Amino acid sequence: MEEKAEPSSSRSSLSRRQAFVLLISLLSLLGSASFACADALDDVRKTGRLVYGSDEEGGAPYIYLNRTAPPKLVGFEVELMERIGRSMNVKAVFSQGLWENLLPVLDRGEVHVVANGYELTERRVRDFLPTRPYYVYQLQLMTRPDGLARSIADFNLPRPGGGPWQVGVLGNSAADTYAQRFDPRLVRVVRFDGATNAMMKVRSGQIDATLQDLPAARHYVLQPEFRELRLAGPPEGCGYYVMYVRKGEERLRDALDEAIGLVIRSGELKSVLEKYHVWNEAQAVLEGWAGAGRSEPKGNRPWFDLRLLRDFFPILLSSAVTTLILSFASMPLAIVAGLGIAIGRRYGPRWLRGLLGTYVEMIRGTPLMLQLFVLFYVLPELGILLSPWVAGVAGLAINYSAYEAEIYRAGLQAIPGGQMEAALALGMSRRMALRRVIVPQAVRIVIPPVTSDFIALFKDTSVCSVLTLTELTKRYSILSNSVGGVVEFGLATALLYLAMSLPLSWFSRWTERRLDAEGEKGA
Amino acid sequence: MIRIQGLVKRHGSLEVLKGVSLNVAKGEVAAIIGASGSGKSTLMRCVNGLETFEAGSVVVDGVKIDGSASLADRQSAASRVCRQVGMVFQAYHLFPHRSVLQNVTEGPIHVLKMPREAAEARAIKLLDRVGLADRIDARPRHLSGGQQQRVAIARALAMEPQAILFDEPTSALDPRMTAEVLAVIADLARDGLTIVVVTHAMRFARNVAQTVHVLDHGVVIESGAPGQIFDAPREPATRRLLAESGAA
Repeated sequence: MEEKAEPSSSRSSLSRRQAFVLLISLLSLLGSASFACADALDDVRKTGRLVYGSDEEGGAPYIYLNRTAPPKLVGFEVELMERIGRSMNVKAVFSQGLWENLLPVLDRGEVHVVANGYELTERRVRDFLPTRPYYVYQLQLMTRPDGLARSIADFNLPRPGGGPWQVGVLGNSAADTYAQRFDPRLVRVVRFDGATNAMMKVRSGQIDATLQDLPAARHYVLQPEFRELRLAGPPEGCGYYVMYVRKGEERLRDALDEAIGLVIRSGELKSVLEKYHVWNEAQAVLEGWAGAGRSEPKGNRPWFDLRLLRDFFPILLSSAVTTLILSFASMPLAIVAGLGIAIGRRYGPRWLRGLLGTYVEMIRGTPLMLQLFVLFYVLPELGILLSPWVAGVAGLAINYSAYEAEIYRAGLQAIPGGQMEAALALGMSRRMALRRVIVPQAVRIVIPPVTSDFIALFKDTSVCSVLTLTELTKRYSILSNSVGGVVEFGLATALLYLAMSLPLSWFSRWTERRLDAEGEKGA
Repeated sequence: MIRIQGLVKRHGSLEVLKGVSLNVAKGEVAAIIGASGSGKSTLMRCVNGLETFEAGSVVVDGVKIDGSASLADRQSAASRVCRQVGMVFQAYHLFPHRSVLQNVTEGPIHVLKMPREAAEARAIKLLDRVGLADRIDARPRHLSGGQQQRVAIARALAMEPQAILFDEPTSALDPRMTAEVLAVIADLARDGLTIVVVTHAMRFARNVAQTVHVLDHGVVIESGAPGQIFDAPREPATRRLLAESGAA
């Protein structure tokens, strides 16, 4: 008996093991495995190109387009990379990426090196190899001249006007980490996607101050659009900008170190930094750099770390609540507005039809991100201050109302003209005919596409991170950048989105079935 | 009861009705016959205000829709006329999202503001009269064409109109269902309801109508008792029409 049973059980355990291996390799593909197997330095030498990842957005004085014609990419990091490339006998090539995603981009093998004001931090050194520093940065507080904060030290004291200090930072930056050291009852950290977005909110008076890396603060305070801001108090804190390469690329790291050393010793770095007004005496330590912080990587962490989820899942969950609130507040508004627009376009007077048609095309034809940006950053210039929540809900509702209007228009068009005539022949007014006869039929038709839009809106709430709202996608990005765990948090985030959207699909199908069943009842 | 005078209706440059005049007395059953495209349906739709017209007038029980009046005046007159004149369409136009009973109570409850119980009692009585008392909870799409048209008749009757206009009520039906529907209309006629029916069913027109009007190219070319129209037509166009429909 046992012998007979054995072959089949061993076969099944074998296939289970194969399945397991397959799953692991799939997950490691999804995760942090590097695609570039060839040695990066060889690749640089062979192609003659050193591709560096950086982000132009809010990038002055690091990397930005200057205002000459034609615009040219400039910045102290651009010039530094040019000189490093020259000393390695290759051409330095810029590759655009979102600042907070540059390390994952490096991991994928899209670029050879990341060089964009990335601080030397313990967390990053765990997964990537740092070069020697090329800049010593400090943090600088920027306020309005009439602002309440006089220096960073003020954040240890209660805010004179009551409430916590509202301090804007670039999300995941050193300033972010630094600002979080203050008592959360005294300081509320507001995270922005770009450095200048935070400055705009200081200028309009919606937050007290912004903590910026010194080079950015020095650069922008001289620009006309931020002339109303001032540098408050002395710079504080201290850290190093380094470049990062992938683990295992020690040869490329050594080559870059040598090139950086050369640029420092020849005085080229100093002249570049002076040109962009970011040189100070603190930079003197760069030359004497002897490889501190060059700790060799500790052992690889497990490919799936459940403890990360145990520790951080509540935070992830609270951001999912933000996503839920944004969606459930904006979608009903969008549906009601969309229905009104559709009715106006189909049954309204000619001038109204034209007006609504233009509205729909304008809203559909421009990106949601831009609309949110206008609501949150441009309207304050006209004296209209919207809170992030109001701007988020309004922006999503406005954007989706255009799509819902088109869906309802199709729904209304699908109702035969005889229905309106039959209602009018019963003596109904047009308004009553719409309410009692036309709209109820149209609503049944549009349930599936409206549900599908609702699910799309769930995911579009992620754009609200430009409004400093930390919803689920933003939280994932913050966690995976600051804590690590691209796979763990990615999986948990995906599951949370599914947990929110699947019930919607079920609800939609249930509604359709119920309406159908209503029709079968008397058959 | 219904007085149509010099009614002119244009679609762009095309003149569909070229000055139609005809009268329907209270309790009279009038049939309108004519070839396709002669303007019969358009005439019906002008009478109950579903379409505007360029000149002439329609008076229903003292309420006048004037082709030359302002839009607002015409609309308010048209909606008053709608309440007095029921309409039954060729394609039924029942409300698909409501049950048979709800189709019939829709007008009384929401337009006449009748209490639900009274409206439902009236509806059940009317559905019984058209032979559909056992289908009150069905959806329209589960009924045959003849049954749907009979519900549509009950729906029109529920508003207690002074008159009912039938716009080719049996054109979409097969002979057996046609017979069902015509029997119901004949029954209403016997009860003394004012009826205007646009029809191709010549035998029905002959048996039920008191007056037959022949419409040709937007003009009433001949009116008279069925005997005269069917047995001694004066106009060549009438003779042609009757010959084509095999009724002469």
